[in-house]
Amino acid sequence: MRRPSLPKLRTGAAVAALSCFTIVTAFAQVDSTYSEEDEEDYSLYDDLEYVDEGTKRFANAKIKGLSPAQFISVGYDFQGPHQLTAAAFGDGLYQEETADINAAHGLRVGANIPVYSKNSLIVQVGGQFWDVNYDIDREAGGDNPLVNALQNNGLRTVGLNSTIYKPLNEYSFILVQLQADMNGDWAIPDFQGLQYTRYSGAALWGRRPKDNLQWGVGVARTYRAGELNYVPIVMYNWTSLKSKWGCEVLFPARGHMRYTFNPRNMLLMGFALEGGSYRIGNQGNALADPYDELEIRRGELRFRANYQRQLIGFFWMSLEAGYRVNYSFNVDSVPDGQDFSRYFILDEPLTMENALTNPFYVNFSINFVSP
Amino acid sequence: MSRFLTLLFVCSLALTGFAQEDADRLTGVWEPSHGKAKIKIDKIGEKYYGKIVWLKQPIDPETNEPKVDKNNPDEKMRSNPLRGYRILKDFEYTDKDVWTEGTIYDPENGNTYSCTIKMTDENTLDIRGYIGVSTFGRTDIWKRLKMPSKK
Repeated sequence: MRRPSLPKLRTGAAVAALSCFTIVTAFAQVDSTYSEEDEEDYSLYDDLEYVDEGTKRFANAKIKGLSPAQFISVGYDFQGPHQLTAAAFGDGLYQEETADINAAHGLRVGANIPVYSKNSLIVQVGGQFWDVNYDIDREAGGDNPLVNALQNNGLRTVGLNSTIYKPLNEYSFILVQLQADMNGDWAIPDFQGLQYTRYSGAALWGRRPKDNLQWGVGVARTYRAGELNYVPIVMYNWTSLKSKWGCEVLFPARGHMRYTFNPRNMLLMGFALEGGSYRIGNQGNALADPYDELEIRRGELRFRANYQRQLIGFFWMSLEAGYRVNYSFNVDSVPDGQDFSRYFILDEPLTMENALTNPFYVNFSINFVSP
Repeated sequence: MSRFLTLLFVCSLALTGFAQEDADRLTGVWEPSHGKAKIKIDKIGEKYYGKIVWLKQPIDPETNEPKVDKNNPDEKMRSNPLRGYRILKDFEYTDKDVWTEGTIYDPENGNTYSCTIKMTDENTLDIRGYIGVSTFGRTDIWKRLKMPSKK
């Protein structure tokens, strides 16, 4: 019998070693999503008892198919050309003026951080900064203080908010939202006094009877229509069984139909009511007493289409376009920030009853989301 | 001196054994708080993995077929059955009843999250899935189920 030569032996040993290494490596890497040896009898797991006490079940804060919640959002909002007719006021002291607004645009930044997040309680704390700059063409000699404030200062919002979600059991929950906003024509770092902070909030009781349905009713203290109001609210979130269609409604704040191309790509169509009470800071003492404590009651309805898609990982983009319909751009006198509500029926006269025409608008944002 | 070294060696072996026992307490069958699935955690090599072994609704109402991973971002994976799917991967025991370095997959939306597991008592796990940093996450409580006996 011929003995193999030494080089052949070496090659054979090397191949054997390499094979062993490959096999060992393959066993060591458990990257497979499945257990390859999977011939498990899954019927064994049908009726298992808890070792200790069982799970206390709580209604999940979400339903399947909802558009992703935003942890952090950085965006830009742009309203196209429209016209403002600022009313005369002050018994002839300040004259009416019609101004062409070429654009109203600005940065929108928001954050919503879960500070406590378990299935039995979720507490989120957030903040926001919105900026609106006005590019205005004015009539010669126009000197209405409202137009002056918008042109020279723009409007700004900085706010803090908190959302508390407390499931009561497997199907019921309570949702509470609190918000404090400082709105006005202030500029950084010259903030306005804390007495002009506007507080809003909502409390809602709801049910989540199925994985694809969530509804609730409650009340809100809100400035979304411009001035202070107390209104009933209704939540209704639903997703079809095939997860293609759905709706996301928190009336009267917003309501959308949703079409989901896939879980990373969706289109929402509907409306949002957006607004607040913005103090005019009387910079340069342009306003005479008793007209030096004014607030713009800004409320607007935005009929919109919003396309959201995943960019990479948990970063999504949102592109929104729509038509902004003015609900209120009137002005009230609010001495020392002591606000009041008309409760829809109180006939408190307005200081300025302004008219604002309606432009198209776009909004683009990059968001860090929780899908 | 040599007796001391032997003692040290024996002690270190014992400690390693205890640590191993501690780590292996994670293995078993667990139920997430929603009760829609049961997850079996096994040790493979030095790491821990958890696969779906039971689904409350195993049939997809849309197709009337067993549920598959239809939301997976990887198109090739979308026909894979959910039962048997490893949703927990690559967990390593650190200490103090905590397993880290792993991920958890959510078949409802096809996302994979970073994850830490903390055993709050022998039969309860705090499973925290998060994005990037632990702040951006949510903790779910899982309960241990009795291991099935072979039929």
